[in-house]
Amino acid sequence: MYNEKTFSSKLKVFMIFGFVPLFAFITVIVIPFLIGIFMTFTNWNGSSSSFDFMGLSNYTAAFSDPVFWTSMWTTLKYVLITLVLTNVVAFALALLVTSGLKGQNFFRAGFFTPNLIGGIILGFVWQFIFSRVMTYAGTQLDWGFLSASWLGDPDKALWALIVVGVWQNAGYMMLIYVAGLGGISDSLLEAASLDGAKFWRQLFSVKIPLMVPAFTISLFLTLQRSFMVYDTNLSLTKGGPFRSTELIAMHVYNEAFVYQNFGPGQAKAFILFAVVAFIAIMQVSMMKKVEVEA
Amino acid sequence: MLKRTFSMTMMVILMVSVLAACGGGNNAEGNANTGGAKTEISVLVGKQEISKQFEEMVKEYNGSQDKVKVSLIPTAGQNGYERITTLYASNNAPNIMHFLSEFGVMKDKLADLSDQEWVKNANSGTLDYVTEDGKVYGMPMSIEAFGFLYNKSVLDKAVGGSFDPATIKTQDDLKALFDKIKASGVSAFHISPVDWSLGAHFTNVFMANEAPDHADRVKYLEDLKSGSVDLAADKVFNGWLDTFDLMKEYNSAKDSPLAAQYDDAPILLADGEVGMWFMGNWAYTQIKEIDPDGEYGFLPVPVSNNAEDFGNSKISVGVPEYWTVDASQSTPEEQQASKDFLNWMVSSEKGQDYYVNQFGFLPAYSNFTTKPSDPVSQSVLSYTDAEQTLEWMNSYYPPEAFPAMAASMQKYLAGETDRAGLTKEIQAYWNQAK
Repeated sequence: MYNEKTFSSKLKVFMIFGFVPLFAFITVIVIPFLIGIFMTFTNWNGSSSSFDFMGLSNYTAAFSDPVFWTSMWTTLKYVLITLVLTNVVAFALALLVTSGLKGQNFFRAGFFTPNLIGGIILGFVWQFIFSRVMTYAGTQLDWGFLSASWLGDPDKALWALIVVGVWQNAGYMMLIYVAGLGGISDSLLEAASLDGAKFWRQLFSVKIPLMVPAFTISLFLTLQRSFMVYDTNLSLTKGGPFRSTELIAMHVYNEAFVYQNFGPGQAKAFILFAVVAFIAIMQVSMMKKVEVEA
Repeated sequence: MLKRTFSMTMMVILMVSVLAACGGGNNAEGNANTGGAKTEISVLVGKQEISKQFEEMVKEYNGSQDKVKVSLIPTAGQNGYERITTLYASNNAPNIMHFLSEFGVMKDKLADLSDQEWVKNANSGTLDYVTEDGKVYGMPMSIEAFGFLYNKSVLDKAVGGSFDPATIKTQDDLKALFDKIKASGVSAFHISPVDWSLGAHFTNVFMANEAPDHADRVKYLEDLKSGSVDLAADKVFNGWLDTFDLMKEYNSAKDSPLAAQYDDAPILLADGEVGMWFMGNWAYTQIKEIDPDGEYGFLPVPVSNNAEDFGNSKISVGVPEYWTVDASQSTPEEQQASKDFLNWMVSSEKGQDYYVNQFGFLPAYSNFTTKPSDPVSQSVLSYTDAEQTLEWMNSYYPPEAFPAMAASMQKYLAGETDRAGLTKEIQAYWNQAK
């Protein structure tokens, strides 16, 4: 334990432990973020050496763009569905791999694996599955809903994105739930079963209430990951068909770099930041209130 | 105590070296060109299809002389323009890069290439897009053409004899041909519903058909933006949609048009399962792998029933990208070396060989002794030699024009909107375009 008296020795300790991360944080997060906000008030195009101040016109352009709102709405739908599905699946998997099943460590590793595959590759793999494997199966077995590629239909394409997103993230969230389940003291469960509580009763009255901290983290992570998803979106649907699955991160990127509307694109990025930050803070603070002490 | 002092010293050294690395880049660059050292220039190549062959060519060039060393900057998964902006922002601009629609924003940074050898060899019209106040700022990379790409053996069978592309001049001719192909037992047509093909290439057909004169076409685009064009009453636009209806009707993927994969299309065409495909000469590299001996060619896209109408006998030919040299962050020596490299690429025997035979490019220059020999290039050359070409008006589109129009056309293709809806959406896009 350090117990420094003088200012210089305190500074020394700070320089050793605090300065490097603080320096990194300020240079790669804080300063670019502030410059980013500053850029939303200019008409800088990303490469020219001069720019003019535009006031709030980039924000008005962003707010009055119908494609931005469609994209935001699609993203909200996507986030809501993946949020629920990912966590239900992850929790179910966590219960399964802690139930004393034979070879459960193998399953843990298996369910976690999708997380290790990069989003782009994963998207291409699933594109193959959706447009080849599933259509082949659909035509062979004469199942109408599989006979044409899901990626060609705007509603089904969104579901395709959801399936892939859930499949990719559920394993990671499962690990958090496994840790949460492991943290519940055996004596509580033993007491519950002595009192005659069966599986479901134990689940809802003991396990779930005690696992709220794990839910807080998992929901937060799923929320943030789903809002910011870009790689699978790009490789799986590229925003199509007719830009109907262009999720918000891709929309912002395209606006700035592909359509070269740097200012409005940057303004949209900042609006997105505000929305996600607001929702995430709301979610975490609400969940904190529900948490109970064991 | 000694240990603590040591670790503190290490810490400080580490930090100083990290900070020094941040600011050190420029000095090193400035010193590189003093003395007899080689001039180093960098090239940003965004075209994935040729990156491997380009690297080999650069190796060859570096070995052939000892004044200049060319190195490649990979795009590292970013799109070309984004990569360029980051490189410019870090004061590390590539000496040579290529682009098309970004030319407008970039032109004040580019070197004047008017005095270069290849300028006088460039095909007529290919330099218009990069000429400002009489100065040329870009070197055409290649020529690309698009239209109805057909498999001759399928069409021969359908018409019972040798198919002559000159027989198709009107929409009725086209429909009759479609029917014949269908009667011969294969699908007549295939549409790849990718956004650049529909939104940039296919829309080009009506934009380029609007007026025979370049200045009038550019004015038409301006009128479209200012809202003084009524697309619903536009004869060429409606004729063009009639052709689109025809394509839609005979599309081999009619049941789920948007699910069609681009990669399947060259296979369908090469296997003779469809007779025609709306695409360009770049697709031949894939077709060749399946059917190396087959004959392929281009048909124009007719947009009316009058064979004499402008455009009904022409295919769209243009320059997809221009090579440019940076003048804002490159030293005069680097600029000169860059110009020399570009010149070598299109005038030396080795460079031309790579250009035509390895990259599969159709050169935009009259001085090439190495000529492409494949049937698709031959077909394109027969149109350019006869001056039966349409301009690439899509080079003048704002960057978001083609995805916006493509989205509307995909909806139309999938039956999610009707002709009135499609017209309204395209009109609405242009009315708010800048």
